[in-house]
Amino acid sequence: MSEDRQQALASTFLHIVEKLTFMFGEPVALDEIELSPEPWVEARMQFEGAVNGSLAVIVPESLQPEIAANILGLEAADLTTPDMLADALREMLNVVCGHVIMTLAGAEADFKLLAPQHQVVPRERLADLLEDADSMGFTLDDEPLLLHLELERG
Amino acid sequence: MAFNILLVDDSLTVRSVIAKALRLAGVDIGQIYEACHGAEALTVLEREWIDLVFADISMPVMDGEEFVDRLAASGAIEHLPVVIVSSAGSGPRIQRLKDKGVRAYVQKPFTPEQIREVVDKVMGVTNHE
Repeated sequence: MSEDRQQALASTFLHIVEKLTFMFGEPVALDEIELSPEPWVEARMQFEGAVNGSLAVIVPESLQPEIAANILGLEAADLTTPDMLADALREMLNVVCGHVIMTLAGAEADFKLLAPQHQVVPRERLADLLEDADSMGFTLDDEPLLLHLELERG
Repeated sequence: MAFNILLVDDSLTVRSVIAKALRLAGVDIGQIYEACHGAEALTVLEREWIDLVFADISMPVMDGEEFVDRLAASGAIEHLPVVIVSSAGSGPRIQRLKDKGVRAYVQKPFTPEQIREVVDKVMGVTNHE
């Protein structure tokens, strides 16, 4: 991914996430991301149309309650089911993805977002993502987060 | 006048956030109904009196575009204001939906003030008490 594109995506991502979650983030180098021993989860969605590919948000499991609580305006302790946490992370991705595609292809681009999926990321896959040129590192309220954008080369 | 409002989105998070935004914005709400997709929304509309619909585009079973197509085919969209709330709002798609009778589009993420503005606009609310 070119540096210009990375900067545009980082700017879009942070702007949208801050507006949606009221959490503050900043870009960090992938080699500064520390893989905590807890499980990490990803929300990933495909998109098709003006551009085709997939986008994923990958976070340590312990960050999910804070994200969900901030989106919903609740206390993290009130979020009692894993479904609520997964749904909130999928929704954060959904909102980010629409804006990322418009950053890549313009506001007039016609595209379709497919249903986001939520899953635990296998440890070996997580290590691969940290080496992947299509990954970008961030902190969100000082917690690590990865964004992974795969575009089909056309 | 209190509005009965139908929220159509497969995400519980989104339905909760819109409901909260409506309350924070001071919209006079009668009853809030929820549906996970367009087909479920059509069932609610057969059963309940609804004044205003907020619907997503990307949903399983029946997406927002097909839902709007059904309302347009039956003529219901002429009397039932439908607002699309989505992050997948490309220019051409929004125009297609508006051509079919959708009254307004709200891009996510949104604020309670934006929701208030759109309710006022589509429901013709001119003063607040």
